Amino acid sequence: MTATHITKKLNTVMKFRPILLLVPFGLAACSGVLDIAPTNSIPAATAISDVFGARTALVGAYAALQSSGYYGESYVNYTEVLSDNARASGTLTNFADADANKLRADNSEVASMWNRTYDAINRVNQIIQKVPAISGIADTERNEILGEAYFLRALHYHNLVKLWGGVPIRLEPASTITDAASATRATSGAVYAQILADLGQAETLITNKTQTRQASLNGAYALEARVRLYQKDYAGAEAAAAKVEAAGYALAPNFSDLFNATGSNTKEDIFRVLFTPVQYNLVGYYYLTRSLGGRYEAAPTTNLISAFDPASGGSISKYKPVDTRGLVSIALNGSRPYSPKYNTSIGDEDVHVIRFAEVILIRAEALAYLNRLPEAVAEYNRLRVRAGLTAETTAGRTQADVLAAIARERRLELAFEGDRWPDLVRTGQAISVMGLTANQTLLPVPLTEIDTAPGITQNPGY
Amino acid sequence: MRLVSRNWMSCIAAALLAAVPSQRAAAQVSGVVRGVVSDSTTHQPIAGAQVRIVGSDRAASTDAAGAFRITGVPSGSVSVRAQRVGFLAQTRQINVGGGSTMEQDFTLTPVALTLSQVVVVGYGSTSRADVTGAVSTVSAREIANTPIAGVDAMLQGKAPGVQVTQNAGNPGNGISIRIRGSSSLSASNQPLYVVDGVPVQQADFSQLGYSGQNITAITSINPDEIESITVLKDAASAAIYGSRASNGVILITTKRGTAGKPRITFDAYSGMQTVDRKLDLLNAQQYIEYMAEAAVNDDSDPAKYGLVPGVDDKVQSDWQDAIFRSAPVRNLNINASGGASRVKYYVSGSYFGQDGIVIGSAYNRSSGRANLDFDASDRLSFSTSVGLSREVNYRIQGDASLDGIVTNAIGNQPNLPIQNADGTYTNPDDGLAYSNAVALATYNYSPTTTQRVLANVEGRYKVASWMQFTGRVAGDGLFLHERQWQSPIVIGTYAASANGVAKSAYSTGNRFLGEGFFTLTPWQGSGRGNFSATIGASTERNRNELNFVRGEGFSNPDLHDAGNATTVTSYDASRSRNNLLSYFTRANFGWADRYLATFSFRTDGSSKFGENNRYGVFPAASLGWVLSEEPFLHPLARLGSIKLRGSYGVTGNQGISNSAYLATYGSANYGSLAGTSPNNFANPDLKWENTKEADIGIDWSMLSGRISGIADYYNKKTSNLLVSRPISGTSGFTSFADNVGNIENKGFELQLTTENFRSPSPDGFNWESQFNISTNKNRVTALYKDQPFTGGIRGVNSVRVGEPLGAFYLVRFKGVNPQTGDAIFDDINNDGKITADDRVVAGNPQPTHWGGFTNSMSFGNFDLRGSLQFSGGNKIFNAMRIFADDGGYNYDNKFTDVLRRWQKPGDVTDEPRASFDGVSGARQISTRFLENGSYTRLQEITLGFRLPSSFSRTAGLANARVYVSGHNLHTFTGYSGYNPDVNSSGSSSNVGLGSDFYAYPLARTFTFGVSGAW
Repeated sequence: MTATHITKKLNTVMKFRPILLLVPFGLAACSGVLDIAPTNSIPAATAISDVFGARTALVGAYAALQSSGYYGESYVNYTEVLSDNARASGTLTNFADADANKLRADNSEVASMWNRTYDAINRVNQIIQKVPAISGIADTERNEILGEAYFLRALHYHNLVKLWGGVPIRLEPASTITDAASATRATSGAVYAQILADLGQAETLITNKTQTRQASLNGAYALEARVRLYQKDYAGAEAAAAKVEAAGYALAPNFSDLFNATGSNTKEDIFRVLFTPVQYNLVGYYYLTRSLGGRYEAAPTTNLISAFDPASGGSISKYKPVDTRGLVSIALNGSRPYSPKYNTSIGDEDVHVIRFAEVILIRAEALAYLNRLPEAVAEYNRLRVRAGLTAETTAGRTQADVLAAIARERRLELAFEGDRWPDLVRTGQAISVMGLTANQTLLPVPLTEIDTAPGITQNPGY
Repeated sequence: MRLVSRNWMSCIAAALLAAVPSQRAAAQVSGVVRGVVSDSTTHQPIAGAQVRIVGSDRAASTDAAGAFRITGVPSGSVSVRAQRVGFLAQTRQINVGGGSTMEQDFTLTPVALTLSQVVVVGYGSTSRADVTGAVSTVSAREIANTPIAGVDAMLQGKAPGVQVTQNAGNPGNGISIRIRGSSSLSASNQPLYVVDGVPVQQADFSQLGYSGQNITAITSINPDEIESITVLKDAASAAIYGSRASNGVILITTKRGTAGKPRITFDAYSGMQTVDRKLDLLNAQQYIEYMAEAAVNDDSDPAKYGLVPGVDDKVQSDWQDAIFRSAPVRNLNINASGGASRVKYYVSGSYFGQDGIVIGSAYNRSSGRANLDFDASDRLSFSTSVGLSREVNYRIQGDASLDGIVTNAIGNQPNLPIQNADGTYTNPDDGLAYSNAVALATYNYSPTTTQRVLANVEGRYKVASWMQFTGRVAGDGLFLHERQWQSPIVIGTYAASANGVAKSAYSTGNRFLGEGFFTLTPWQGSGRGNFSATIGASTERNRNELNFVRGEGFSNPDLHDAGNATTVTSYDASRSRNNLLSYFTRANFGWADRYLATFSFRTDGSSKFGENNRYGVFPAASLGWVLSEEPFLHPLARLGSIKLRGSYGVTGNQGISNSAYLATYGSANYGSLAGTSPNNFANPDLKWENTKEADIGIDWSMLSGRISGIADYYNKKTSNLLVSRPISGTSGFTSFADNVGNIENKGFELQLTTENFRSPSPDGFNWESQFNISTNKNRVTALYKDQPFTGGIRGVNSVRVGEPLGAFYLVRFKGVNPQTGDAIFDDINNDGKITADDRVVAGNPQPTHWGGFTNSMSFGNFDLRGSLQFSGGNKIFNAMRIFADDGGYNYDNKFTDVLRRWQKPGDVTDEPRASFDGVSGARQISTRFLENGSYTRLQEITLGFRLPSSFSRTAGLANARVYVSGHNLHTFTGYSGYNPDVNSSGSSSNVGLGSDFYAYPLARTFTFGVSGAW
């Protein structure tokens, strides 16, 4: 290698300098290639910044209810298996554990219920945080959006407190990982206080009184009645239920109308979660037998079969209920009892969150506790009459007797709708009737929560 | 020139130095010797060979074209010696006249085949002798005529360090390849494939799930068109591919034309496939006897369930025979190549068709390729490589679904007929435990069509003799269309209750690549040292789009396109994109033929990461020392040549979703109302996974290349694993993308090639053996808070610190109680119950060693090749046993293992008693279902006969060969399932490994072929 060579080589390089310059130029033109906007999603920073963003965020908040961890399955089917209404009949071990009331802290169905409910809360919190600051939106619409958001938050927290007791209260979205990890549990009382505060906001802000697939003002009253019943505020529950009664709701003439597939509207509907063949639920799929296209994960217990038809002795082959709700709730396929209440495997029936029959039952129970027995009996008789049964009388009955009758009607009326388990827990029957321990009446906090937010404590016994 | 005037000092220095040789030249009359050095076997030029005049200091090195020129050669008779590492040195005696130029070419014979190979490396090629990293090569010859669709499957047992799992035996299946182990938890563990310099799309674009039966973009690359495959294994070799190289790189080079008259070659084979082995299942009598015993054991009346021996066992059905068939496989390839001095071409057309050994499954591929090379001038040349392919893959319903064909053939009872007297198929209403497998295969079908264009256009400009610029544009367009029809005719399926289910899915994957790089060889041909370098930049744009629709409710089974459905139950239309911008450089140094060094550096910018970490840096260095070239070791040189290598480098993995770093909202519709909701939690600090790998190796050859070997030891540490890390659900999210955890892989690789017989005449007896073995020890060394978690089928795989990825985590089976017949399990925590808390690490799903052994012989017109392939050290979770060895809880047919069950007190056995209610412990998922996964497979035997030239000439052929071949002839294994080379979680699974859940079995294939050329 001589220096002449070097010089010559450098010279040739210089001669072709224009070509070399092309390289950095070409790449400079490329430097924008790394800044590409996400596809199929939009940056969170701008998602709720105008009236359209506010509206779509509210729609998204309702969509959270469709999740299979929420009204799309778990809150309906899974809690029934925890109760004495249904047993595990399929292959999922989560269901077998629920049937035995031996849940583990790493139960994925329980984790899904917790996570999906908090997902729903986060969607609402985003609205409550951002919508007040949006410009270019009429006050009535802003109020309606915020009011419905408050209603949903009250519903979510009530669902959580029913199943877990005191839970972490999050009223603003978590923005950082540290923030997310800082959650701690509030007392059950604090959660109820928050629920009532949110319901108060909802009742002030919502103006729509009649919509049934979204929250209405009367829906807020109905939920308030339910919440106050759980709090044993019977006068408050009765008052709220009376407001719903005054709004003109009526029982559907036929019990089966309530569970017809798509689009069925009855005067009994207060708030139902909308489902379509695309945004489907798994409720029917999990109840129906395989030959009906289902998975058959949850089947009626002999206990419930007897409750509908005491003469059957719990045997499905002898099942001939007089109660018209009986055959809507339990049917026979081959040799297998199953629930046809939500009766398609497609899952496009709108699932009831709260319907007028429940408000009647709330009112009946509140009245009974207030020792207004004739009124209480008159209330629940409305359901018995619709079911083709004879009305019961008040004469010679104790308060305990009337309360027991209300509990029975409640079970039969709302069977397979996800009401039985919280009802058993609320009334102490989970312990006295099912023979569970107090620890078993609360679900375990998902193990991942204990791991990711060390401030969250586990429920006793897990 | 301005440069000269500015740098006047260097100019003067150059003038002074330049004066020295001319003074000497003037003192003596001298001549010039010039010539070309080439390889005797490949006839390719040898670059970097030393040519010297013996007894003088006159010497030169050959350039890239193999040319050398020595000036100042003293006149008279001189000895000229040419030598190169890996070749036998050659000396020629010539007479040099004063002032004249003498021509003297050299043809060097390689001392070992492995050393003379041209090895394709990233952005260039080199010779095996100069390689300082860990690189394996597989030539076209080694994979020729293998009756499998994908080249990935053909690598099995062929290259050390490359572990291939077929997952399932269905035609055209996606294969799992692990180069030096699994290094990622959530991102991809598959290597990067680079075809003719272009990193190609390799993902499974399929939208419909068939459990273990994946679609892979690799099968659309026709193996017939492949010239060679190079596997870049260590970080130093792979780092030039930066952010996608941590799983290794597979470089595929397609065939190209060489100058000469047109040469048309053809290769056709046709064969038959049968199932490799059937499962040993109970016959009707055994089944009924077992089930009746199960009922009696649990106080049930067998008559109530139709399980009475002598009554309910009159029918004998072999469901396996009903779904398996002899299936043809055929391949035809015709290609033409040739060219003149300036234009060269290779044009090829192929058809490969393979019916599946399970009814209803099939695969075929038609493909074509045109590779052209054109020298526009001495400086400017162009190359194009264009490949087109169309594949149709008929897959069968997933193994893990209730309607799997293999699944239900194993599951359904042997005492029930397959067809009714009227020819209709039986169904669950007739008592079958599951829908009828034959009906499923007959009425349902799922074709997947893939069309692909892989094209690249390259221009090269020789800026100077030592500098070349290469510009390349490439496109990779993949269009995939899937249909699936689940007929309502198959009673007992969801489709029957829904009046038919149809799906239609379109997916497109498009990649555009533009890049340019300089190849510099300034010090190639002079002095004792050489230096070459590559520097360039590349940009890549990826676009994916998909459409999907699923409908239910059809009026007629023949009106089965999704558009005829009464109800659309699911739909999708979406797209995604990501871009990459990269700069790279590499420098190679060589000194005195014995000191070699390579340094490379790449920086990748990816749109997948946020502003904070958009660019990743991937440096690497490797050193080589040709020990045998050291003067002080020359006395030992006769023993052979030895090269020591060492390398260290950093590579990356960016296999995550496109905007994982950003807080986003996605659509969340409610009925007909359009809505949005948060769908990703932000992590602006998200960055690449990176792998740091050290490698030491040795290449040696002795006895004139009769024995040669390559050995490597590596230690590979992957950190900042891209994982979906859990976050408190109270945030509304359950996970976000983060970098947490470490994985380590260590291993040893050895490749030995021996020429056992080398005949001087081409028709004599030649015998060559190739053996390779690899070991790998995989270990997870850190996790998020070191929390273990489980995954895979039935959660049997686990990820735990200190254990291999996917380690089986199961309750330990201790035996059967001779008194009760119940299974006994290890109660680790002594709480009297067998629960998930009693699980222990029970085995490794990853093979710890694997390899292959190939022998090739030729004598006269005959040639014979045989290959063995082996793998071991792993366990397989035989998930079929959950149903086929469950004590009789399910109605599924059982494995014949249950024949040695416990039947009466005192029986000593490892099979629990039959139990109708599933209370004998037989149902417990435990180590009872874990089996040894080691196997050795007789992979191939091929016998070929070259037709005598007199005969082929009468047929108008230049040459012709006929051959018979057997593939997958026998698998020696203790595993009881169809095939130990299995993973029902599929090729994209990282944690779910080594489970067999009714995987499609492998085929044994016999083929007859003929090849020839005009």
